[in-house]
Amino acid sequence: MRRKIVQRLGGAFVQVIMVSILTWFLFFVVARFTGASPAARIAGRTATASQIALVAKIYGLNKPYWQQYLIFMGHLLHGNFGFSAVQQLPVSTILWPALRVTASLVFGAALLWTIVSAPIGAFGALRPHSLGDVLSRALSVIGMSIPVFWLAPMVSYLFAFEPTQGRFLGIPLGGHHSIFPITGYVDFGVNPVEWAYHLILPWMTLAIGFAAVYIRYIRAMSAEQLGEDYTRTAKAKGASTARILLRHVGRNLLPTLTVLLGADVAYALTGVFFVETIFNLPGVGYQGVSAILNLDYPVITGVVIVSAIVAVLANALVDILHVVLDPRLRRVGTS
Amino acid sequence: MSVESNSSGPLVTSLPPHDERPSSLRRQVFGRLRHDATSMFALVVFVLLVLAAAIGGPLAAWWTGHSPDAQYPNALSSGGLPLGIMQRTYLPNGISHNPHGGLFVLGSDALGRDVLVRVLYGARISLLVAGGATALALVIGVSLGLLAGYFGGWIDGIVNRFTETAMAFPNLLLAVALAVVVGPGLLNVVVIIAFFTWYYPARIVRSATVAAKEMTFVAAARTMGARPRRILVVHLLPQVWGPLLVYATSIVANNIIFEASLSYLGVGVPQPTPSWGQMLSDAVTSGLYQVDLSLAVVPGVALVLTMLCFNLLGDGLHDALDPKASRR
Repeated sequence: MRRKIVQRLGGAFVQVIMVSILTWFLFFVVARFTGASPAARIAGRTATASQIALVAKIYGLNKPYWQQYLIFMGHLLHGNFGFSAVQQLPVSTILWPALRVTASLVFGAALLWTIVSAPIGAFGALRPHSLGDVLSRALSVIGMSIPVFWLAPMVSYLFAFEPTQGRFLGIPLGGHHSIFPITGYVDFGVNPVEWAYHLILPWMTLAIGFAAVYIRYIRAMSAEQLGEDYTRTAKAKGASTARILLRHVGRNLLPTLTVLLGADVAYALTGVFFVETIFNLPGVGYQGVSAILNLDYPVITGVVIVSAIVAVLANALVDILHVVLDPRLRRVGTS
Repeated sequence: MSVESNSSGPLVTSLPPHDERPSSLRRQVFGRLRHDATSMFALVVFVLLVLAAAIGGPLAAWWTGHSPDAQYPNALSSGGLPLGIMQRTYLPNGISHNPHGGLFVLGSDALGRDVLVRVLYGARISLLVAGGATALALVIGVSLGLLAGYFGGWIDGIVNRFTETAMAFPNLLLAVALAVVVGPGLLNVVVIIAFFTWYYPARIVRSATVAAKEMTFVAAARTMGARPRRILVVHLLPQVWGPLLVYATSIVANNIIFEASLSYLGVGVPQPTPSWGQMLSDAVTSGLYQVDLSLAVVPGVALVLTMLCFNLLGDGLHDALDPKASRR
């Protein structure tokens, strides 16, 4: 088992290196040929050629590419992601607090979509073609078809903005209500209740699309397990449906589900771009979007690298968990 | 998977008469699809969508006399706000000769442009970009998948490393980064999306090819002296089209969202070309959707309907190709 884990960590390390090369290549090499050369960017719009050359010399941007990459990597390893000229702050000072916000959003949403989809999916597998199953399948196809960048403004409008105007779904409420906060973020360390209160709508928004997909996953996988001999044996021995689902089927789904969750937590990192902007949560996605609008390249570079590293690590972590959770994989590895 | 025997040469003479031949996979699949109400609904929506993209925009533009990019100050209130759906304004400048010139069926946007005309032209951009990117991704993915699956060895190794690495990253993020550096543009968007989606078909085709190349008919073709290119194109490619078709519909759906996301973030199809993501982002970032919700609802519903159509089509095709899996 240890050998497998070490192997997987090694693979993750290689992937992190590849991410850094790719991002560096994009922003420092490709950018030169598309009119966004790093030195010209730092020097500013009105800079003369000699000023740009001076900037290139100061920042080491006139050295051979391999040296530039090593300098870039050296900075990264020291936690130095560059300096944002737009915000007048080091990128790491911008990104670390943002990462906390994004982690709250993504992990909360992942918990929500797992809790919601597991019972619905299991029900569909137990009673296929029943009214509840048909309904949940229809809803999940619709849920899969709603892009998060549309869902976010709609949820914000319906549950946060419209009640403050005295209406809900166009129906007068008789008075102005503020049911959910429209924007803002309160750190968990400051006030956990306010933290959750401010995150309910963003969690919901991010979770709906994933819940739709997970209902389908869990339904299909449970249906497969329920057709196996071991569930029939358990049933014959008098185990209750709840016990079969939780102890037998659930235990068999756990490893696969963990791997899916890891990949989707990484995938959700793209969803936060839209959710955080709409709900004004100062997370990585929010910083990324404003950096794109301001062409704040150091921040964009930082956001891409940090998110990609988080994604790689999440995938590696669940693969390792998979080995731990699935005894069949464990035995093969220990040679 | 049973497939019609389409090998040439001496085999043809030994085939039974036409009507006794086992019906082809293609006919079976479409037969099953025809009896599935949801798939038929999706197919109807799909046809309407293609019609909207092909002729809907110009038709609406001709009927109202509004071009997609023209701004009509009369379509805004005196405070400069859009008027909402089904608004008749007094003679927008320059098109007074058109009897419907004053009618804005789906209202106007913040700049006084006709939303109906723009959303129809947006369908064109959506399908064009998603279709083009999918086609490009399929060409790259299928070729690499076939080569990797058939030859194995170092080609397989390289393709596998690429697909594994690519799948470990949130691809929208890297696509945004690439789009920021390269700059917006229609062709850029197509190439960027294809660049970040080709590995899905590559993986599918690779595994299908690995399974198919061990079959006797491939060995037979090889014994008869067929070259690798002929085996790949004539014998192996028809084996993978089934799973590929299912996948292609879901890739098209994904790519529609991909394009809309890029345009939403302002790095996709450049202004003033109408695209659904762009229209949504205009409504949302300006905050105008809180004044007139239809500005966000119209492009949003267009997107959801399109996605729904492709998702249902994909499900239908999947079930039709593998009926045993769905009847559990």
